[in-house]
Amino acid sequence: MDIQLTEEDLAFQQEVRDFLGQYAPKNSSELWSKRNDWFKALKEKGWDCPKWPVEFGGPGWSPVQHYIWDKETCAYSLPPELPFGKVMLAPILMRYGSKEQIERFMPDIRDNKVNWCQGYSEPGAGSDLASLKTKAELSADGTEYTVNGTKIWTTMAHMAQWMFCLTRTQSTGVRQEGITFLLINMKTPGIVVKPIFTLGGSHHVNQVFFDNVKVPVENRIGEEGKGWTYAKGLLQHERSGIAGISRTIVALDKLKKNARAVPDGDQTLLDDRAFVTRIAETEIELRALEFAELRSLADAQHTGEPGTASSILKLKGTEMQQRMQELTIEAAGIYGLNQGFKEAGPKFSKMGMMLYLNGRAATVYGGCSEVQKDVIAKRVLGLVDAGT
Amino acid sequence: MDFRFTEEQQLLRDSIEKFLREDYGSTGVGISERRKKSRKAPGYDVANWATFADLGWLGVAIPEEYGGIGGNLIDTMVVMEELGKGLILEPYFPTVVLGANAVLLGGTETQKRDILPGVVEGKVLLTLAHAEEQARNNPTDIATTATKHDSGWTLNGTKSLVLNAESATQLIVVARTSGNRADPNGLTLFLVDAKAEGITRTDYPTVDCLRASEVRFENVLAGQSQVLGTIDRGFEVLEAVIHRAILALGAEAVGMMEMLHKDTAEYTSQRVQFGHPLSHLQTVKHRIVDMFVETELTRSLLYRATTEALAGQASATQDMHALKYKLGKAGRFVGQSAVQLHGGMGQTEDLRIGHYFIRLAAMDPLLGDKDYHLQRYVDLMDIPEGEPDANILPF
Repeated sequence: MDIQLTEEDLAFQQEVRDFLGQYAPKNSSELWSKRNDWFKALKEKGWDCPKWPVEFGGPGWSPVQHYIWDKETCAYSLPPELPFGKVMLAPILMRYGSKEQIERFMPDIRDNKVNWCQGYSEPGAGSDLASLKTKAELSADGTEYTVNGTKIWTTMAHMAQWMFCLTRTQSTGVRQEGITFLLINMKTPGIVVKPIFTLGGSHHVNQVFFDNVKVPVENRIGEEGKGWTYAKGLLQHERSGIAGISRTIVALDKLKKNARAVPDGDQTLLDDRAFVTRIAETEIELRALEFAELRSLADAQHTGEPGTASSILKLKGTEMQQRMQELTIEAAGIYGLNQGFKEAGPKFSKMGMMLYLNGRAATVYGGCSEVQKDVIAKRVLGLVDAGT
Repeated sequence: MDFRFTEEQQLLRDSIEKFLREDYGSTGVGISERRKKSRKAPGYDVANWATFADLGWLGVAIPEEYGGIGGNLIDTMVVMEELGKGLILEPYFPTVVLGANAVLLGGTETQKRDILPGVVEGKVLLTLAHAEEQARNNPTDIATTATKHDSGWTLNGTKSLVLNAESATQLIVVARTSGNRADPNGLTLFLVDAKAEGITRTDYPTVDCLRASEVRFENVLAGQSQVLGTIDRGFEVLEAVIHRAILALGAEAVGMMEMLHKDTAEYTSQRVQFGHPLSHLQTVKHRIVDMFVETELTRSLLYRATTEALAGQASATQDMHALKYKLGKAGRFVGQSAVQLHGGMGQTEDLRIGHYFIRLAAMDPLLGDKDYHLQRYVDLMDIPEGEPDANILPF
């Protein structure tokens, strides 16, 4: 048992630090003004798609190198990228897409030229995703599908040009075997996107309606009826990303700095022992989780399997995000209520409240915590489901 | 970076596990004997102690030049995890973890040569006489005094919960040689013969079926050769011993917590009520998952604190406080959950889960409880320099 990084890993860490020092935006104004320079530098370095394998132009990093990259980058504020194309769809395309599909879609995904959205959840299919009903019927000549139904909680559908979508092509037999994976152009006639405003009044998610939407058969990934298998692999990519442990550690450090500037009589909030103790309790959980993630990465590197510790990362990682967000709004005090006048109160207050409200979704999306517990019970502890 | 155990560590683990399961019987029939055994001195099986010595377990962490195997903190972690699962009654913790480490970290070459080979052979038994009533959690609050005179020191005071003191051949006594009562400076460690004149003991069984004593020192004499380490600088050694002891307790706790969630999963899968196994109920299943999650988080802190201590990293101290806090909190949760989910059977001492539950509860106040260590963590918590940062977006 050894926690030291190898010589190669240390050299890689230095390379990442040098690169970030040279190209990463230094402050929030540079975040927008230097945005294009940053993506250009990433692409020239070959680090614009860190998770991709070498044969698709990725760097082919080891699990430990990924950890180093995540750890180093989260100390910076980097221009955000939506995960749907590069992180979520690309691995499916690479594995199950045809040569034509790869050539057609991958370059634009790589360059962020096309916004993708994910068409999974439906009003009647949330945690129980396999009960989805959006119907896709293949024409008699086998050239196109006609899609009817609705998808919900579709993040950024109002900005997306394309959707990757799970549809039902067969309603008899095993539910999971009648699902087909389609790529749908959002400009196709018959698609209507309606906004859904979430807690705090934000618009990120939508409901998408399909009324006789025509989808050419060449936009189907893999075989008809195999979509569930393809999507399951993709869900794991989504889950591994949303634990966000390194990001929460950085956020907690920012909270400490911010709390030091929050007045509390003649002292600051950081002098409040009860508040600081709660920061410490959260930090201890994060230290444990950070090491659980390392154990999982090291296991993946040495054995090819992420190990049992990995199963808790999404479940506890999202809980810790939420606990950090709670502490942030508590630090803001009454100024978290003010969503209009910018000059009043600590500067982090308004954003803190927004993140707190939006952050409730973290224990719901990507498999809600209750489903995660069912999965751990079954896969790790060997507890069988009722009725099976 | 690699979290696998070496082949030697795996062999060590397997051999301890096998012995405790097959020959020691603590996880099976031996369970019912624990309470009875703890009522009478020495509270354990002397023949077992000799076997531990023969199998080399007592010398795992002792350097080869003193007759040991020369293992590191990871080896001790492996041993303690298995001993925890096996619910042993023998004084491994007081003798090897507290005592031998105090000699190793504070002793002169002569003291090490005099004492450590005897520990490895199972002939020398040690313990640490440290805790005092007024101190509660504070390890520097010592009222026991050692007064200098011409030929040495005279010790006076009372020590509480001295583990296995009745079996020990020597006691390591923490006494004040200068300074105010809670001053970290001015403490000195003394090696005192267990039968020295002026020592009176009241021996008793502990709730976790072990043995301990209240020990009174009345004008007990100690010469220069009995000083362990430097006069007035004893806290440096004591603190290092406590760190190692917390890592050992952490390993013991993690071993027990793993057994608790596994036993509970098994029991609730077999126990049929309302026409189906209890584990089919989501409320039961999810509580077992929570037990598993807490166990793995505690294990992660254990690995973190142990590997950092081994690598000599400064952050190890903070992680040691985090570990002791977490094992107190998570150990209680996992233990209580196991008892709850075992229903009526959980209330008895017939199953090992009851013994794990009690041992975990007993561990929390040892060497500072969870509140104490959480506050020490707060004292050391890093507060980054710099201006407030309004950009708190998580990317």
